[in-house]
Amino acid sequence: MSSIIDKLNSVKDTVPHYWPIGSFIHHNPLKGFEGLHFKDGLIKAQSIFGGKVYMDSSYYMDLYEQGKIHDSVFESNLKKVLVEKGFDIPLEFAKKFLMEVSPKWSSLRIKFLSEKENIDHQLYLYLEEKSIYNNEKAWLNKLIKHMTLYEINDALFGGDDKESVEKNIIEFISRFLDEDQTTMRMPNRELGMFEAFKLFENFTYDKNAESFVEESLKKLHIKDTESYFLSHLLKLHGWAGFIKYRSEDPDYISQRQHPSRLIEYMAIRLYYELQAMKNNKLSNFDLFDEYANNNLQDSILKLLKHKNMLFGQTLDSIEANEKTIKILSEHVTNELNLDALQIQHSNQVLQSNLPLTQLATILKNLREEEGYIWLKSLEDSYIHTYVDKIIKVQAKEEEKAIASATFCLDVRSEVIRRSIENSGPYETYGAGGFLGIPIAFVEFDKAHELFLSPAIVKPQNVIFELPNESHEEYSSKIGMNKTTKKVLSDLKNNPYTPYIMVEAIGWIFGINLFGKTFLPQKTNKLLSKLKAKKPKTRYTLDKLSVEEIEFYVKKLHTKIIHSVLADSTSHDYTKDEIDIIRNHLIFNDDLKIDISDEIIEKLKTAHQITAEDYEYQKKKLAMVGFRLEEKVSYLYKYLTMIGQVNKFPEFATIIGHGSVSDNNPFESALDCGACGGNISLPNTRALCMIANAKDVRIKIAEKGINIPESTKFIPGLHITTTDEITFYDTDILTDEEMQKFLKVKDDFNKASKLSRVERSESLPYTHTEKDMMIKSMDWSEIRPEWGLARNMGVFAGPRIYTKHLKLDNRFFMHSYDWKIDNDDAEILTRIFDGPLIVGEWINLEHYFSTVDNHVYGAGSKVYHNVVSKIGVFNGNYSDLKIGLPIQSVYLDGKAYHEPVRLISFVEAPLEIVGKAVENSIAKPFILNEWIRPVIVDREAKKVYSYENGEFIVIKEM
Amino acid sequence: MITDIALLILAGGLPYYTLLEKNTRLSSKNIFLLSAFLLLCAVVLSLSIPNEHPVSLIVVSLLSAIFSIYKATKTTNFYKLGYYLIFVNAPFFILFEDRGILYSVSLLVSLSGLYLIAKFYEKNYGSANYSNITGITLVAPHLGTYLSFYLIALALYPPFPNSLFFLNYIFKSDPDLLSYIVVTTLFFGNFFLAMRVMRKTLFGRPNPNIHYVRMSLKDKVIHLFILILLLILSIFGLKEILL
Repeated sequence: MSSIIDKLNSVKDTVPHYWPIGSFIHHNPLKGFEGLHFKDGLIKAQSIFGGKVYMDSSYYMDLYEQGKIHDSVFESNLKKVLVEKGFDIPLEFAKKFLMEVSPKWSSLRIKFLSEKENIDHQLYLYLEEKSIYNNEKAWLNKLIKHMTLYEINDALFGGDDKESVEKNIIEFISRFLDEDQTTMRMPNRELGMFEAFKLFENFTYDKNAESFVEESLKKLHIKDTESYFLSHLLKLHGWAGFIKYRSEDPDYISQRQHPSRLIEYMAIRLYYELQAMKNNKLSNFDLFDEYANNNLQDSILKLLKHKNMLFGQTLDSIEANEKTIKILSEHVTNELNLDALQIQHSNQVLQSNLPLTQLATILKNLREEEGYIWLKSLEDSYIHTYVDKIIKVQAKEEEKAIASATFCLDVRSEVIRRSIENSGPYETYGAGGFLGIPIAFVEFDKAHELFLSPAIVKPQNVIFELPNESHEEYSSKIGMNKTTKKVLSDLKNNPYTPYIMVEAIGWIFGINLFGKTFLPQKTNKLLSKLKAKKPKTRYTLDKLSVEEIEFYVKKLHTKIIHSVLADSTSHDYTKDEIDIIRNHLIFNDDLKIDISDEIIEKLKTAHQITAEDYEYQKKKLAMVGFRLEEKVSYLYKYLTMIGQVNKFPEFATIIGHGSVSDNNPFESALDCGACGGNISLPNTRALCMIANAKDVRIKIAEKGINIPESTKFIPGLHITTTDEITFYDTDILTDEEMQKFLKVKDDFNKASKLSRVERSESLPYTHTEKDMMIKSMDWSEIRPEWGLARNMGVFAGPRIYTKHLKLDNRFFMHSYDWKIDNDDAEILTRIFDGPLIVGEWINLEHYFSTVDNHVYGAGSKVYHNVVSKIGVFNGNYSDLKIGLPIQSVYLDGKAYHEPVRLISFVEAPLEIVGKAVENSIAKPFILNEWIRPVIVDREAKKVYSYENGEFIVIKEM
Repeated sequence: MITDIALLILAGGLPYYTLLEKNTRLSSKNIFLLSAFLLLCAVVLSLSIPNEHPVSLIVVSLLSAIFSIYKATKTTNFYKLGYYLIFVNAPFFILFEDRGILYSVSLLVSLSGLYLIAKFYEKNYGSANYSNITGITLVAPHLGTYLSFYLIALALYPPFPNSLFFLNYIFKSDPDLLSYIVVTTLFFGNFFLAMRVMRKTLFGRPNPNIHYVRMSLKDKVIHLFILILLLILSIFGLKEILL
């Protein structure tokens, strides 16, 4: 028999991980369904989450009318479905239905509500027979699917338990999971979620969360535990996804400090449910079954009302206290009449000779298939369009470039890359923003690590940023800013001072308020002067020796012990005494000095000076820097991955990217997805430092890549909001080199300007370059940039084949040369394992946020409030909002993002791609068609598409 | 005395509940229209009669109004809500005496907007019942905006005329205990009834089982006209307060 944890684990993947908003990770909200074919996964997800999984057919009709969906493609896909499903109807008939009747399907129902028409009796009887209304028990079960007992009680007896239960849960978990947003922290969080909850609610329970859950389920008389767990997880699936994420990431700092598990969250939910049930008529499911058996029709009617599934007339009848049996019967008749009228109307439009009952079945099946038919037709039309454009180009030698620029494969690099290429003899490359070098980065003046790698990769190398020059001014400004913030915060949070504070210094905030609103550019300039200017820095790229590690750990511990002793006692402890204390805490040596147990305990618990922490610190410090072989390996992998193995210009720039905006909790969603939602500058700087190192160049030459001594790797940062490019570490250049590089910088600046002009055309209310600049500093701006909206494809291949195309920032572009790859397609496998997965997550996050923003998106930014510094919710409490805000994918009520699966063009022979798919961890979602692979095989002169489990030729070259 | 009783019949709710609601032939829409018409008659009648009303009439109408508030909380039909709101406000009309005329006109103008919204619902969703038509603001923003204006006006929020005439009465009268009770009860009654509708139909998640319909240009123009009327009344109201 499976344990309670096993039962929870069997359903927990239904809800996706939710990463904290500070490092926003785009993800597929249906990740747990990737084991199924895309189409089947969507059907299953819809049955669980509800909502839509495809756009409405009227949306696709618009695209068809604009010529984006090709008629021939649509017909071909429709024909395939008719054959596969065995629908014995002419193509024209099906096409007419999908194009002329189906887009009006819902509005027809509205029309028939007020129009009386005769109903075909045979059709009515047929629909009645096929409907669920005949089997009231099954109907009831369908209605209560994924409902908790308190929701059922609310529906049947008009209570408001759901509101209070969810509110209580949110109040507790948002305070428990808080990451320093509040000034009044919840106590006892280090005990773990369930233990802290017991103290929070002041209830006595000796056993653990697992036992509590088991006992609660017994009290509620739950028969299907897994299903009930799922019902509970779905109530607040954003919060559940976050708890799931942190509980599965042992390195997540807050999780280590305040542990939480999904079973504990479940225990808390069930606790509140039991509390609510105490005063309810139906306090367990046996009582509900008994009640439902005795009041079946009444229960159905009330559940229909609760779920907003009744017509207005029916609601009026309920208000008028008419008999339940009459109301329900009228409701069923109404529903069936409307169904019948829809079919009768379709018959009139389609001029069909089929019996209406047969037509009903065909139309039902066609409607089930239409979303996928339209989606695939849109994708196929794009595939045909782009294949024609890509295969037209033949590879040719180009003039030698002065500089190369590697950008992140992010869609937003397309326009800037094209602009740079048009500005002079420059060549550009695309790679995953983390450049294949996953690092845990500790920024200068910060204490925590940032994982700069795709969310699925755990960095094994830590890099510290250290100042390279004197930084007194920086430190003093930072110190001053911190003190000011602290004073203001204290004044704000003290019960007495806010009154005086508002009177005395409230006007100061007015400068910010009015400045940012009316003069954003000037205010930004003024405020930036107050910000501390970071000194020049270097990175710790070399490994520490064992002695150095020991030294640093000891130094850290000594400093902490010294500080705790200074705060706790008046006695001045010597260095030797501190060593004795440390050795006692870590190596369990005898404590030969007189010190209180309380201080020892404090050092152990509050400051983690323990044997475990000692080992942990040593392990972390051993991760600092890279061994020479690692450096060479990372550089080699990077160069071979983008195919830059023999063409090295004088300046090889590697340009990371980030976004700048104001008052935007989703800012990190606009940063580099391949760097875990962070700015990718540290990766580019680290790789450039590695590539410029002499010992690395010697070693890499042994592997066949000769980088000329004259080639300098220069890191840069592309701000995607403004398209500005800034270069770093240029002090490695000689004066002569610098003169040449200034010309490169100048050309790149021109390219930035061109890119801004082009991008301004697609941004709303943006006409000039100045408008674009203001967007990055306007605190009321809901779209500082379009981000990754409208992404539709990936191109992995040499740049030459796409250089001539205006791709409008819609393609992830990864440079790849299969001729450099080995027989096992290792390079392509790496591209599939990292960038492709990130691309798929980004693509599907946009897809689902667009098709149903209420279910899979974050809703409107207007209602958002940041909660616990981990995400946003609506108003003052709600579920943690997953996905993207509606403003990121919609414009003026219409979808701006075109939801399609990621069309993945790969320039390589089919065998190479086959091997990469086989070896990649992305294999399940590739084979299940959560992306659309298209292989351009110039060797075989064929283009393949992957469909229904096989690669099929879609074009001969 | 006779005119008082006539006023009570015209502006109080009880007779309607006992006579009209029991009549199955009369729809709530017809009752709404009849009530509005009779309130208008009461306004005209009150112009030709002395303005002093006995306390007993005010007490009876207050009790009738409280009963109307209760009835209004039990309905999710705009027509019913419309005529309940007339009866909820009847004591104001009696209490405000000659200053109650403009208040009644403002009320009728706001309710005419609500009536048109009800008609829109009836035409497009089969009934003026709003219980299942949720999240209007998100899916039909124009409709949501107009409905918000009417409800805010009915909730006695400034600067809508209803609230201004109401304030004018408070500023310029010598209230006694009964006035306090009437004003407080009915102010909160109006407020909570309007907010209840807002919560149920304007906000929340749109109902996936409904095909939402947007307003036609003709509808928008008509509603704009009503808003302009409210604006003109607001100017009058503001003048009355300031002068």
